[in-house]
Amino acid sequence: MDAGGASDASRQVRVRFVTKLPPPLRAPPAAIAVPADLSRMGLSEIVNSLLLAAEPDHQAQPFDFLVDGELVRLPLRQFLIAKGISAERVLELEYVKAVAPRKQEEPCPHDDWVSAVDGSNPSFILTGCYDGLARIWKDGAVCTQVLEGHSGAITSTRFINKGVETKGSLHVVTGSKDRSLRLFKCETSVNMDYQKRVGAYKILRGHTSSVQSISIDPSRNMLCSGSWDSTIKLWAVEGSEEDGDTVSLKKRRMNSDSSGPEESQLEGSATSTLLGHTQCVTAVAWPEQQTIYSASWDHSVRQWDAETVKETWNMVCGKALNCLDCGGEGSSLIAAGGSDPVLRVWDPRKPGTLAPIFQFSSHSSWITACKWHPSSWFHLISSSFDGKVMLWDLRTAWPLASVDSHKDKVLCADWWKGDSVISGGADSKLCISSGIEIV
Amino acid sequence: MGHNEGEHEQERDDLSADDSLWSDDVWSEGDEGSLSFEDSGEGSEAESDEPEEAAVESDSSEDEVAPKNTVGDVPLEWYKNEEHIGYDISGRKIKKRDREGRIEAYLRNADDAKNWRKIYDEYNDEEVQITKEEAKIISRMLKGKTPHTNVDPYPDYVDWFEYDDKGHPLSSAPEPKRRFVPSKWEQKKVVKLVRAIRNGWIKFDKPKEEPNFYHLWGDETDTADNKRQGLSYIPAPKPNLPGHEESYNPSVEYIPTQEEIDSYQLMYEEDRPKFIPRRFESLRSVPAYEKALREGFDRCLDLYLCPRTRKKRININPESLKPKLPSKKDLRPYPKTCYLEFKGHSAPVKSLSVEITGQWIASGSSDGTIRIWEVETGRCLKVWNVGGDVRHIAWNPAPDRPILAAIVDHDLLLLNVEVGSEEVQMKSKELLRIDESAPEDDADDKKPAVRWVKNEKLDGITLIHHKAVSNVDWHFKGDYFTTVVPSGDTRAVLLHQLSKKHSHHPFSKLPGLPVAAAFHPSQKMFFVATKKFVQVYDLQKAQLVKKLESGLREISSISIHPGGDNVIVGSKDGKLCWFDTDLSTRPYKTLKTHSKDITSVTFHRKYPLFASSSEDCSVYVFHGMVYSDLNQNPLIVPLEILRGHSSSDGRGVLDCKFHPKQPWLFTAGADSVIRLYCD
Repeated sequence: MDAGGASDASRQVRVRFVTKLPPPLRAPPAAIAVPADLSRMGLSEIVNSLLLAAEPDHQAQPFDFLVDGELVRLPLRQFLIAKGISAERVLELEYVKAVAPRKQEEPCPHDDWVSAVDGSNPSFILTGCYDGLARIWKDGAVCTQVLEGHSGAITSTRFINKGVETKGSLHVVTGSKDRSLRLFKCETSVNMDYQKRVGAYKILRGHTSSVQSISIDPSRNMLCSGSWDSTIKLWAVEGSEEDGDTVSLKKRRMNSDSSGPEESQLEGSATSTLLGHTQCVTAVAWPEQQTIYSASWDHSVRQWDAETVKETWNMVCGKALNCLDCGGEGSSLIAAGGSDPVLRVWDPRKPGTLAPIFQFSSHSSWITACKWHPSSWFHLISSSFDGKVMLWDLRTAWPLASVDSHKDKVLCADWWKGDSVISGGADSKLCISSGIEIV
Repeated sequence: MGHNEGEHEQERDDLSADDSLWSDDVWSEGDEGSLSFEDSGEGSEAESDEPEEAAVESDSSEDEVAPKNTVGDVPLEWYKNEEHIGYDISGRKIKKRDREGRIEAYLRNADDAKNWRKIYDEYNDEEVQITKEEAKIISRMLKGKTPHTNVDPYPDYVDWFEYDDKGHPLSSAPEPKRRFVPSKWEQKKVVKLVRAIRNGWIKFDKPKEEPNFYHLWGDETDTADNKRQGLSYIPAPKPNLPGHEESYNPSVEYIPTQEEIDSYQLMYEEDRPKFIPRRFESLRSVPAYEKALREGFDRCLDLYLCPRTRKKRININPESLKPKLPSKKDLRPYPKTCYLEFKGHSAPVKSLSVEITGQWIASGSSDGTIRIWEVETGRCLKVWNVGGDVRHIAWNPAPDRPILAAIVDHDLLLLNVEVGSEEVQMKSKELLRIDESAPEDDADDKKPAVRWVKNEKLDGITLIHHKAVSNVDWHFKGDYFTTVVPSGDTRAVLLHQLSKKHSHHPFSKLPGLPVAAAFHPSQKMFFVATKKFVQVYDLQKAQLVKKLESGLREISSISIHPGGDNVIVGSKDGKLCWFDTDLSTRPYKTLKTHSKDITSVTFHRKYPLFASSSEDCSVYVFHGMVYSDLNQNPLIVPLEILRGHSSSDGRGVLDCKFHPKQPWLFTAGADSVIRLYCD
């Protein structure tokens, strides 16, 4: 061997590819030597060629590589130096399918800014718009129902029942800047030809300022809403209808001209109010039956006990917060973003520290929404005023992917069907990026 | 006599015992028969009469007996051949005695046992018999002993001092009192000296210590302590010392080659080297230096003509001169970055105002529109086309009165913003209702200062002023507001009450044209800024309380600290003055920051921040901490310069306002954009 060969050998790393993917995508477990300056793409090519050798009709696809639970985002040698891993021993590289949107669906046009989106139903997408209408899109392509009634811009929308238990009807709640929440019921068997207009069957009044955010409890019986009047109110979805009826009659008599053409509407009032925030409550999340999390412009994240209606924990982060979501491992991590370009993830189980455990700072403007993947512990999306939706993995500080389909501020974003990212923005479009394979 | 004899016996015994020389057989036959003092005269008799006394009292008994001869101390040879030996005291000659013959002398010697003690005195020409004591002394002296027997030269040493058992070495007597009493004499002396020093009779000029050695080779002129009286002496600069190249036989590397010498010709006269090294065989062959005289002359000219001054230079680290300011990190949060832009106006945005909860902002622009924006998203919620240049805008600070006051062209417009709950909207509608048949007292021939007129088109009220209005400000309770008409008469500053639709002008004539007016944030005080002064009025007593002198050319804007004791004003020459009204009527600090006119200054309601916007397209953000401790002056720290607005028609940022609850700053630019700067 000459000197050149020796230096070549020194710049090689012995790796073994392992995976948890099903057998057609399983590479031979033998250790091979690869050049140390390979990055993710080169490693992906090697794995693809290994797979192709084993199975001739293999389709090449990108992979992501994990070393000790950390995604490889640098060239291999730099990664090893940065992590202080010895290049002497055989490196175990676990490969997973790369998480990135493969396809951009046709955007769904709206009449005004899309301010809220919910993708919890696999066959329908619910959007809220600044023209005061909520829309239900069948399979993310056709608007089948328009939910009307609000006099102000809709800020938040939610499916109350999950897709599997719809039983022929969709149950929807919307919150609006006209200080009210409305409950709608609409059928799942839809006519694709025209847009059906649906009125609310129940109005929830009580907030004295804009409703900013809605969240449904896991048992689907309660909902909570955060508002600009710095309160969080809990509402019962069903029940106490008699009480609500009388209120509605009284109201109707007072201003009969406005409610004249509408059908009989029920009115409901809040079962309880959570007081504690000093400024507008911009986001609420109800991950478990007992606990509610809320984020506010007073720079705090608070945890509430839903039963006793008491504050149990709070944390000040220094920035006005716009969005909050609970997820991750055991759905106990809190992701929140606000009036700066950093998406922060906290672990409230860690005692004594208020420092975020993860900070993702690739955005360039305010973060408007953040959502954890419904099944994966590691993945979350964030949308920002810089017009980007970014896909994050907790195992690396770099974004996995960035969706640039919006031309203006992105106001809301959500996961849909587990493999798509839906987002609405100030360009009045609902964008759907699909084909994200998260195992 | 018997007594004498006894003595003589004794002496002889002593002599014979002591002296072997004198005790030869011839002389020692002692015959004590008689003393042969007959011929020796009275004198010798007298002498021998009291020998003991003489020995005790005096060393020489001769001194007491006057000599017979008076010739004095002359050699006796002079009288050798004379008859006499001299003269006695009365001048008579003393005749020489006849010398007895040798036989005679021998006989007498043999007769007289005491003859051996007889001595011939040549001076007096007589024979003297020495006494036994004298003979004894002589014999002792000849032996080298002390002349007197009683003197013991080596007595045994007796130590009379007792060392043991004594408390005091010398004396155990108590110390006398005078050792403890200050001396009276000394005191007198000291008083005298003190008085002399006080009156300057005694002068202490210490003699200068001359150094014992001096620096032999040192240059006297450049010693630091060589200070002379009068003009300070500056040593002449030294000429350069000659180097190797000026040697008569320098090393080869110093000697330029011919090409180099030629290339000197191409250089400018003053760049050319003054001296070209050359080699010589010996020092003898070095020619005379032809420029010597010239250079000497030049040097003299330099020394004579060149002014030499001593430059005082102090070595100070420039960093240490900077005032100690706290680090910017500790003063967070403050607005830094622009994250949101509110776009929609088509002409410069003249003014903006933030709603008290911070949910909306209102902006007025030269394009004739007033817009309401949502802070959270930057969405324009509402547009009113008021059909005129909107010059100033102010949102009612009461949260239940969403009413906007806007100056459109010359007049004030009150608008219902229609946000908030139904009750709030009803109430504000009620407030803005006005009876058209409002009685106008036309008795006054003067045009009324203000007329309240319903504005049908915009569903508001127009306050028609007698002259163009320039500024509007709300009282913190939201019922009163003030408008400023830049005119010289008493109707320049007007107070209006919204609930009663009433206006009046409480102030007498102002010193100059008023520019802006502002209510105290919590008390019944009122601030009016004229071009040079800020007048502070007490509204209850309707009298002037204070007059703040800004020293600025022309005040353009004013803002009151939420505490109410501090006022900032911005001026048209780019200066910002901070007044502490408790401290002085002069500015506490004047900050020259902007290069062009300051258009607006503003305080934050919650955070210790203030900002100034200017026509030079920049906005300065300062930390302005006011302490509740009256002894501590406010702390002002510049924090950030916010840029981003572009200039349009030479105008930059026209207004800036803080968010009421967040550390955010809204700026309205002449480029028709409103920007939101966040922390």
